[in-house]
Amino acid sequence: MIFRGKPLPDGSLVMAIVNRTPDSFFDRGRTFGLAAALDRVDEVVAQGAHIVDIGGVKAAPGEPVPLEEEARRVVEVVEAARDRHPDVVLSVDTYEPAVAEAACRAGADLVNDAWGAPHPETAQVAAAWGAGLVCTHAGGAAPRTRPHRVQYDDVVAHVVDTLTGLADAAVAAGVGQDSVLIDPGHDFGKNSRQSLAVTARTDALVATGWPVLMALSRKDFVGEVLDLPPDDRLEGTLAATAICAWQGARVFRCHDVVATQRVLAVVDAVAGRRGLAVGKRGLA
Amino acid sequence: MVTAAFVPTPPLRVPEVAGGSAVRDDDLRRACRDAVATLGDADRLVVVGSAPQSRRYEGRWDPRPFGVPGPDVHALPYALGIGQWLTRDLGLPVSFLGLADDAVPEVGDGPYALLVCGDGSACRDEKAPGHLDPRAAGFDEQAEQALASGDPELLLALDPVLGDALMATGVRPWHVLAAAAERPRTAEVTYARAPYGVGYLVGTWR
Repeated sequence: MIFRGKPLPDGSLVMAIVNRTPDSFFDRGRTFGLAAALDRVDEVVAQGAHIVDIGGVKAAPGEPVPLEEEARRVVEVVEAARDRHPDVVLSVDTYEPAVAEAACRAGADLVNDAWGAPHPETAQVAAAWGAGLVCTHAGGAAPRTRPHRVQYDDVVAHVVDTLTGLADAAVAAGVGQDSVLIDPGHDFGKNSRQSLAVTARTDALVATGWPVLMALSRKDFVGEVLDLPPDDRLEGTLAATAICAWQGARVFRCHDVVATQRVLAVVDAVAGRRGLAVGKRGLA
Repeated sequence: MVTAAFVPTPPLRVPEVAGGSAVRDDDLRRACRDAVATLGDADRLVVVGSAPQSRRYEGRWDPRPFGVPGPDVHALPYALGIGQWLTRDLGLPVSFLGLADDAVPEVGDGPYALLVCGDGSACRDEKAPGHLDPRAAGFDEQAEQALASGDPELLLALDPVLGDALMATGVRPWHVLAAAAERPRTAEVTYARAPYGVGYLVGTWR
């Protein structure tokens, strides 16, 4: 994987969430202010995040955010983060081509088109800047909507077919073959069982050959297994993270960078994708 | 038609779909059970509900499209499947009529009981599937008043276009009820709430 000339190492990787939003479901505005958002960027980079994903609009339904306002929110963070962390991959979480354009101009390397490509020209924006693109399955749901009695004959097949189509279209639009990620879009256009089914069949996504991004962090499909609110979904998120990493998913979009890194390190070590940090036991 | 009951169609009404949360809707469950029980004296049952096509359907409830393990069966659309699930103990011969537009499949001759499967708006609050729409509460109130009145004309006055905009699946099934009722009826609404932001209406016309 390489995004705007920035190659990423082998092994499982963390994409840290930075919400420049007043109302996202977990952080609820904690990093809405520019200074707080930049502190968060510094923190997750120090913690070892390989990608920082900056968003200016919450995923759930709510007050519409004008394009100029969304662009202002993300561009301010991207510009300052680019300056402070020249080597970190900066991602912009948007489904709006104009916002992706503004963010790439400010230095973003990756466009996280998290709502199933409602505007196909977003791929052209990523291509024009040499940036990467995340292609996401949302089951045809309109952006910022909740699933309502969504049905699939075979949710895994639907996800695989949709994502291979979007990834091929991205490359046809000029995005680099090694700059495309696919994301099955947990909770997006899916009920919890459908998200669990996709989790169980991560291998089917990996088998497409495209690197797989998993956005699992503290989502409802974890919460509904446990009947717990977002604050209490870390362990469940990490369990799903381990399952997906074991099957070969590459990038994990998360709120909890340190915990996720530790889980991924153990999975990668078991899978033979990484060595020990220390190898003394029984070897003295 | 001899008697009718109307019920909502949330898949979470079915315990195998809802998992542990099924027990949290006790009032709704009781209201549906009591409404459906009034249909038991008929010789046959007609179930109407929204479907991909306006036609007769056969088969069984198949929860697999919602991600729930189930048998590989010739499946009913979910609204009709929930109607089947609710009436499974009545022991009546059943016809299932799906409604996708204003075309209504033939009900057939002779007296029958009618189970009307459909919901009010899905936009009642900010956590609702369709988020908050300021028109939703008034729409559901109009539906409730029409159902409580037993007056077919009031039911027919419900706007299916607005219903679609508000993700309400009940309008066309309720119009079938109005057409089948032929005259004002003794009517009762026994449940009218929106616990998940979707308007659920339960009751009977006799």
